[in-house]
This record gives sequence, C-alpha cells and structure tokens, in this order.
Amino acid sequence: MSAATEQSIDSAGGTAIVAGAPARMKAQEATSILDRMGKGNVLYVLPGLLIYCLFVFFPILAAVGISLTKWDGITAPIFRGLQNYLDLFEDDRFYTALGNNAQFIIFYCVFPLIIGVILAAIISVVGQRERLVLRTVFFLPYIMPTAVLGIIFQWLYNPAFGPFNQFLKAVGLGAIALPWLGDFRFVLPAVGAVAVWYFFGFCMVVFLSGMQRIDPSLFDAARADGAKGWQTFWHVTLPQLMPEIRVVLLLTVIASIKSFDLIFTMTRGGPGNATLVPNIYMYQLGFQLNRFGYAAAVAIVGALLVFAVNFTIHQGMRRLDRSSN
Amino acid sequence: MLDVLIHHLRLGAAGMATAALAVGLSGAAQAQTLVTWDDYTDVGQNAVIEQLNKNFMAAHPGVTITRTARTFDDLSMTLKLTVAAGNGPQVTKVNQGAADQGAMVKQKLLIPIDDYIKQYGWDKRQSDSVLARTRWSDTGQFGEGPTYGVSGLGEMVGLYYNQKVLSDAGIAAPPASFEELVKDVDALKAKGVTPWAIGTAKGHLALHMLASIDQAHIDSSNRKALDDLIYGRGGKFNDDAQVAAATQVATWAKNGDFLDGYSGISGDDAVQLFVAGQAAFMISGTWYFGDTQTNPDIHFIPVPPPAGVTKPLSVGGIDLAWSITSNSKDKATQDLAAQYIDYMVSSEAADAWAAAGFFPSTELKDPSVVKSSLLKEGLTMWKTLGDNNALGHYPDWASPTMLKTYDDNMPHLLAGDMTPQAFADALDADYQAYLKGGK
Repeated sequence: MSAATEQSIDSAGGTAIVAGAPARMKAQEATSILDRMGKGNVLYVLPGLLIYCLFVFFPILAAVGISLTKWDGITAPIFRGLQNYLDLFEDDRFYTALGNNAQFIIFYCVFPLIIGVILAAIISVVGQRERLVLRTVFFLPYIMPTAVLGIIFQWLYNPAFGPFNQFLKAVGLGAIALPWLGDFRFVLPAVGAVAVWYFFGFCMVVFLSGMQRIDPSLFDAARADGAKGWQTFWHVTLPQLMPEIRVVLLLTVIASIKSFDLIFTMTRGGPGNATLVPNIYMYQLGFQLNRFGYAAAVAIVGALLVFAVNFTIHQGMRRLDRSSN
Repeated sequence: MLDVLIHHLRLGAAGMATAALAVGLSGAAQAQTLVTWDDYTDVGQNAVIEQLNKNFMAAHPGVTITRTARTFDDLSMTLKLTVAAGNGPQVTKVNQGAADQGAMVKQKLLIPIDDYIKQYGWDKRQSDSVLARTRWSDTGQFGEGPTYGVSGLGEMVGLYYNQKVLSDAGIAAPPASFEELVKDVDALKAKGVTPWAIGTAKGHLALHMLASIDQAHIDSSNRKALDDLIYGRGGKFNDDAQVAAATQVATWAKNGDFLDGYSGISGDDAVQLFVAGQAAFMISGTWYFGDTQTNPDIHFIPVPPPAGVTKPLSVGGIDLAWSITSNSKDKATQDLAAQYIDYMVSSEAADAWAAAGFFPSTELKDPSVVKSSLLKEGLTMWKTLGDNNALGHYPDWASPTMLKTYDDNMPHLLAGDMTPQAFADALDADYQAYLKGGK
C-alpha cells in the first residue's frame, strides 16, 4: 500500500470520529478501522474467507506438508523431514535457476522502471491529446496475456520465418541474424526484452499518475531557483515519485520471481537450462519427473524468496523515503 | 479428397457390418459405459478413432463409449493421478517406459492382459519384440513378465530424403551405406545445399538423429546389449559406439551442415522447411508422414548402416499402448475393455488408419487402402524390420529422467561447449543412478 493510500484511510477515519456522538468519541479514537468492523460483519467476510482458505491457504499448507515428503503423486508420501530442503541447497540446477531469475529481475524491474520514468517525464510535458495517445499506445502491451506474448515473440524471433531476422538480412545485417532463442548468450536477454516491452507501459502509467499528484508549487519554486529541466526532474520529480517507485518495484519483483508463462511459452527453460527459473524447475520436477515433494520444496523456497526480497525492498525504500524527507 | 471420403465411409460401413456380425454370433448385449482416454487429438487421428468407436458401439448394442482425448503431455501428466484416485478411464492409452507405464504397473493401476493376448491371438498380429515393450515384471524389470498393453499404431525413425534436391546437387540415388551418407552430406555442403533439416528449439529431432546413427551401427544379431540397456538390465550409455555417434552429430553441427539457425527453430518448423525443399535429408519418425507426403519428391528409408552391418536396427517402437486400468473392477468390464482393444488392433482398424495416412502396427486386411507412396515405403520397411527383428529402441525409455537429461545436454553438445565424451558421460550418470536407485 502506498503512503498516499495510508493517508486517505487515516483521513476517512478522522472524519467519522468528528461526525459521531461525543460519548462514543473516546472509545472510537482508540480503535482502528478494522476494529470498528464489528463481529456482525464477519458473516459478510465468511464466503470470501472460505474460498480463500479452500483455494489459497490450505493448498499452501498442503505444499508445506508435501515438501517434507518424498511423493510420486501416486503412492503414499514418505516423510523425510527437511531432506528435500537440504538436497535443494546442494542442487546445482536450482542455483542455475536462481541465477537466471536474478538476471530476469533486471529485465522485469530495472529496465521497465527506468524507461517508464523517462517516458513519463517526457509525456507529462506534451499536450493533452498527444499524452492520451502516447499513454494508450505504450500501455497496450500490458493488457495482453504474457503467454500470448510469448507465442507471438517466439514467432517474431524465429530464425527461418520470423520478421526480426528477415529485416536484419534485408538491410545487410545478416551476420547478426542469430537464432535468438537457441543461442546460449542471447536467449535470456531475448526473453527479457519481451518482459521489458510488457512492463514499461505499466510503469509509465503509474509514474504519470504520480506526477499529477506532485504539488505544482514545487516545480514553480525550482524554476524560480533557476533549475533546468533535468535538475527539476532529478531533485523534484524523482524524489516525489518514491511511493510509486516502491509500488512498481514490489509488483515487478513479484512478477519476476513468479515468472513462468512467458518463459515457458518461449523456451521451456532451454536451451540447456539457459532460461531455467525456479517456477519452470518446479513444473519439471513435479509434472514431468513426478517428484512432487521436491517440487513443493522449490515452490516454498520460491515463496519465501518473494517475501524476503520484497521485505528488503520495502524497508530500503522506507529508509530512503525518511532520509529524503 | 472425395474418393478418400468415400473410402472412409465404405470402411466405416464395412467395419460396422463386421462388428455387428461378430456380436450377433456372440450374442452379448448389455447396457454398459466404457470410459476411454486416448491422445488422438490430431484432426485426422480424431476422425479415425471417432469412426472406430462408432463401429464398436454399433457392434455392441447397449455399450456407450465415453471418450476423453488429451494431448500426449496432458495424458502423461494426469493419467496416473486420476486412476490412482479411482477416477478416469477403464481403457486408456499409456506411454511405455518407466515414467508412465512402469510407474502405473508398480502401483497396480494397470491389469495384465496376457490371457486376452492368448484369447484373441494378438501375439499373432504383432511380433514378440513389439509386445515386449509393454512388459513389466513384479520386480519392476522392463521387457519381462506380464504384458500390460498393445498398440494399434507403429512408429519408426528413418532417413527422409528429397530426391529432387539430391538430383539437383548431382547425387543420383540415396545413400546405400553410412559412409555414403557422410560423403553425400559433404558433397551437398560443398554445392551450397543445406544437407540436414533439423531444429532443436522444440521437439527431439536431434535425439532421434543421434539414436538412429548409433543403432544403425548395430546388427540385429548383436542387439542384446541395446535391449539390456533399454530394459534396465544394465549397460553403458558412454561406450565407444555412442560417443562416436555423438561425435558425428556434433561434427555436422559444427560444420554448418544443419539448417541456418537450427537452434532457434522448432522440430515442426524444420519439417516444414524440409517439405519446402530447404534441405536434402532429415532423420525423424513416421508420425511426420502426414506432413511429408505432400511433397512427392520425399522418400523414407532406414538410416543406412556402415559396411559389415547387414541387418541394422532402426529406432522405433509402437504408439502409446492400449491398456486396461484398475478402474475396470469386474470381469465383465475387463472383458468388454479387452473386446475394445481387440477391435483397436484389428485388421479393420488398421485399414482405417492406413486409409487416413497413418501407420498401423497390425497387418492390413486390404492393402489397396494405402494411397500414399510414402506410407507404402514405410510399411515395407516395417515388414523388413519385423522379419529381421531389427526394430530398435527410443533411448529415453531407459530411465524416467533420461529424456530430460538428453534435453539438458544436447544443446551443449551441438553448440560445441560439451565434448561428446562428456555428453555420453552425463547420459550414463543418469542411467547408473536409475539402476542404483532400485528403479
């Protein structure tokens, strides 16, 4: 949740207190909005809670349980304690998957964030009509399912039929018309480039909305102080966008660590595990090799990783926020 | 097209009449549902199996077939779990090998069919070497013990060649020996013609090329070592012959004898390029007959053997086998399931498959149904392999993880950053770990 949203909740709470009867004011002041929901409201939450438990919470618990067993999916699971986790930490392929995922984070998070900020800064100063067109055009990739994007780009990259290489050959650059998804050196950036293309529009729209929130007097003050365009961007716009940057980072990091569909449709983790990530590895272990216990251990470690990385980013950004204020 | 359709209808009608007669003789008529799963998701295959099911139901009044078709991957992924939960098919197709059929036999999810083999004489329709591929002993030994399935379609991997491309390059006839094949590849390359259609981004063309070269060097009289290896009795994946085959394939890759950008092209795309005349040779299986028969210049032969090998093995086997699952709980259901399988491996069914351009494992009742010259070449090769006991094996059947091990290491072998010896060692490590792990 961004700082802006937190403020609005606090503000709503404050209004309710002022409007209430004076006798209730003291008690209400000491409670949060959640406390005020009352036990009667639990009834309304129950259906959602049951669905959540059935399809999210219990499967997570089951995955934790399965990760402590050796299970082929057919026979009764054999309890083996933490052995799957110990094996995992000695598994070279798991480290390969983690290493690849770390590289994918650059394509899922860093590049889209940088491109998004730059484009938002440019688009925010163009006319209203142009802004609408550009914002729509750049956001369009984000509305497509990534599995569909994967299939489309797999065709675009095809060395025999694909337009990328056809174009390179047509303009005399046949020497660099490579088998992008079959080359160990370029396959990860080639898949990553699609992730950049998918996410930068989303980042840009978030930053544009953040820019509208910035108090115009700050820009006036900067201008009065003689700040040039990039100085205003660096010293005013960027620090003010910190809440949005935090949201974008959290969402794109989660997307990168749980990445599956784009990579699966484009390379299935290949060639030779060059694009293997923990989720693809989990799929292979579970559904191809029938090692459901070990696959569950990969899933649990992946989930813990999402929490750990996001917690670190959250804390880091909060510290950065405090120091900039 | 019209004559093919008329032929299909005629076959369908003939099938119904024959089956109805059979029922009339047996007098069996009871209300029952038979739940079947198969992997005939291809449009052409789907049409044939639907017709065969209709024929069977017409011949068995009161019997309703509830059919589910799943892709190969989906079938493999869901079958074991579903049957283990007591749901799903009573008759199903199962992939042979340790990962699927072996695992299901181990958990008693499949029923032995040896009594039905004797009763219906399936062993007279198919060779023992073919039936052995669905045998599993009580100790988990592949290729021995009770039989758990029988297949209606055959599969072979062989050498496709485009005669027009060869002739244009000055090569009058396809290679008669492996040495000639190597020379032809060099000659084609020298003339600027791409020798091999292959794509490794998806599919297993490289695995089939490697295994075919290796097994073409084995005479059927010396096949025991390969049988032992695949059936899990022991052996090595890194002997000299297999390292030599890997060296040959890696050399072709290094020399640029494959399609430009082959590592980024899928197997299916490579086949389309081959059909379009973009290369002279391709090693793959009979399952591509549907695509390749559209070009009359394309022919199919065994991968030629080196000098001294007279009856070379060809990689191949059978399509996924029809098996009876533990969901067929009573004798009546098991008998009905066996009747269904009997019809699926009958000569009538074989005619229907052949008429549609597919490759039946059972002898045809009416050979005139075969219109495709490529299918005729394939059927001739199938007969020769049967006579010579020379049907080889898919090496990835050797352990549940072998296909993954091939997939992980093959790109490195072809890219030249893994030596053929290291590649063969990686395969052998997988195999020995499987043997050591008690299967």
